Amino acid sequence: MDYFLNLMASGLVFGSLYGLIAIGFAVIYRTTGIVNFAQGEVMMFVLYFSWMVGTFISAPLWALLLIAVVVGSLFGALIEKIFIRPMIGKSQFPIIMTTVGIAIVLRGLVPIFWGVDSAPIDSPIKGHLFQIGPVFLLGDQLFALALFIAVSAATWAFFRFSRLGVAMRAAAQDETAALLMGINVRRLQGLSWMIASSVSGVAGVCYALIIARAPDMWQLGFQAFPATILGGLDSPLGSAFGAAVVGIVASLSGGYIGFGLKEISGFVIIIAVLMVRPYGLFGEKELERV
Amino acid sequence: MRTGHAVETYGRLIALSTNRVTWGWVAALLAGLVVLPWVVTGHWLVMMTSVLIAAVGAVGLNVLTGTTGLISLGQSGFLAIGAYACGLLIRDLSVPAELAVPMAGLVTGLASLLIGIPSLRLKGLYLAITTLASSFIIIHVIMQAGPLTGGPFGLRLPGVTFLGLSIGNGPGMYYIALIVVVAVVLFVNNLMRSRSGRAWVAIREHEIAARSMGVNIARYKLLAFFVSSTIVGIAGALMALQLRFITADVFGVFLSIEALAMLLVGGVGSVAGAVLGAVFIVLLPELARTLLSVFGTAGETGSALVFEIRIVVTGALIILMLRIEPEGLIGIWRRVKRYWLQWPLPV
Repeated sequence: MDYFLNLMASGLVFGSLYGLIAIGFAVIYRTTGIVNFAQGEVMMFVLYFSWMVGTFISAPLWALLLIAVVVGSLFGALIEKIFIRPMIGKSQFPIIMTTVGIAIVLRGLVPIFWGVDSAPIDSPIKGHLFQIGPVFLLGDQLFALALFIAVSAATWAFFRFSRLGVAMRAAAQDETAALLMGINVRRLQGLSWMIASSVSGVAGVCYALIIARAPDMWQLGFQAFPATILGGLDSPLGSAFGAAVVGIVASLSGGYIGFGLKEISGFVIIIAVLMVRPYGLFGEKELERV
Repeated sequence: MRTGHAVETYGRLIALSTNRVTWGWVAALLAGLVVLPWVVTGHWLVMMTSVLIAAVGAVGLNVLTGTTGLISLGQSGFLAIGAYACGLLIRDLSVPAELAVPMAGLVTGLASLLIGIPSLRLKGLYLAITTLASSFIIIHVIMQAGPLTGGPFGLRLPGVTFLGLSIGNGPGMYYIALIVVVAVVLFVNNLMRSRSGRAWVAIREHEIAARSMGVNIARYKLLAFFVSSTIVGIAGALMALQLRFITADVFGVFLSIEALAMLLVGGVGSVAGAVLGAVFIVLLPELARTLLSVFGTAGETGSALVFEIRIVVTGALIILMLRIEPEGLIGIWRRVKRYWLQWPLPV
C-alpha cells in the first residue's frame, strides 16, 4: 500500500509537469484552433533564457519564476506576431507545420547558444524531505505540485470570471459573433500565446528544479500530448486533470509492470482515447456542416 | 507555341505524358543518373544514394499526405519497421535481398493498417498526433524486443547482393536505389491517374462531398495507408541495406519531420515535387557545411554542432517555404514554365 501511494505521489509530481505544458496546449487551441507543436521547445528556450538572466543578476528561485513568466509572455507574443499571425486564414496544415518548424529551430538553437551540458538549479528548498502520511516527497517536488495546482486554479478563474477570459471563450465559440460584439479577436489570440508561453516557462523552471536543465527537455512537450488529448484539446482545466491521470498511469505502469512502459504509457492512452472519444473527456464534440 | 491541350482518345488522356519533349528530358535525366557513378565517387556517391532512398520515402509519404490529405507525423516508425523487417529477413532467415526488400514493404504496409483502422475516424490534427504516438510506440517495442532486434545494440546486416549488385560497394548500392526509385515513381505516377488516385484526391478536397459521390472513404483511406506505408517500408529496407547497421536511434522524430519537410519544400501533392524536395533536404546539410567552410569563421563550432545546424536550417526552411512559396519548388518551376510558354503574353 505504501508503495502504491508513493507511486501515486511521484506520478502526480510528473503529472504536474505535464499539466503545466498541457494547459499551454489547451489555451492556444481554445482561442486559435491550432495545436502548438513547439510548446516543449518554447518551454526549453524560455527556461534557458530566464536562467541566463537569473544567473546574471543572481536571482533567487521566486525571482527566477517571475523572470520566466515575463520572458515567456514576451517570447510568446513575439512568436505569435512574427510567425503565426501572417498565417491566419490559411488551412490548418501549413500553420501546424509552421509550429513544427519553430520547434526544430528552437531545438537546434538552444545547444548552439548555451551548449549541450545539463545542469541542475540550486535552491534551498531542494534538499528537504517531507513526509505526508506514508508518502515521502522532496521539497522541489512539492513546489512543482503546488505551482501546478495554483496555475490550474488561476487558469480556471481567468476563463470563468475575468473579462478577458470570457471574451476569449466567446471568441473561441463564435469568432464572427465575437468580432461583432467588439472583441478584438486578433489581440486575444496573441494573448493566448503569451499565457501559454509563460505557463510553459513555469513548467521549465519546475522541470529544471526537479531534474535538470538539458537540451533534450523539449521532449516534455511530446509527453504532455497525451494529457491534453485525454482531457480535451479545448479545455485547459480538463487538460490539467488529464495530466494528473497520465502521470499516475505512467508511474503505476512503470512501478508494477516495467518493460519501460512508463515512457510510452501516455502514447498508448492517446491511441485508446482517440479511438473512443476523439474530443477528450471534457472537450466539446466538433460537428461539421456541409 | 502550344496553345491548348486537346485529347481525342481515352488512351491519350491517361498516358503518362503525350509530349515527346518531356519524354526526351526524362530519358536524358535517366541517362545522366546511370552514368553518375563514373563521374562522382566516394562521399558524394553515398550522398546521391541517400537522396534516391529519401526520394522513395518522400514519394511514399506523398501518397498519404499529399494526395489523400492525411497528415502523418509517424514516418520514422514505418521506416523503422521496414528497415528492421528487411534486416531480420536477411540476417535470420537468409532471404535473398531481392525478396526481402518487397517483403519488408509488405510487412510495413500491413502494420500500417493497424494504425490506419483507428484513424479512420480521425482527421487532420488528431491523425497527426496518432501517427506520432504510434511511431513512439513502434520504436519503443523495437528497443524492448532485445533478443530479436538487438535492442539498443542494433542490428548488423551481412554483405549480400541485390540482382547481382553488391550492397557493400558505392556504385552497387547506388544502382539498387536507382532501380527502386524508377520503379516506385513509375508505379505511383500511374496510380495517381487511376480510379484510386482520383478517389484519394476527392477525399483530400472534401471528404463528405467525396462520399456523396460514391467514394468508399474507409476503403480508399486504408488503401492510401497501405500503399504509402509499403513504399515507405521499402525506403526503410533500402536504408537498412545502405547503412548495414541499424539502431532505433536512427529513427527519431526528426526523421518524420524531415520527411514532411521534403514534401513542403518540393510541393505537396506532386510526385516530382516529392523527389525535388528529397534532393533538396538531403543535400541541404552539405550545402550548409560548404557555406560554413567558405566563411571559415564557424569551422570548429560548425563541425561539433552539425546536427543542430542541420535542424535549425531545416526548420527555418519549412517556415520560409510555407510563408513564401506554399506550392514548393515545383510551384516555382510551373510558374517559370508557364511564363516561358506564354511569353510575351502575361501569365
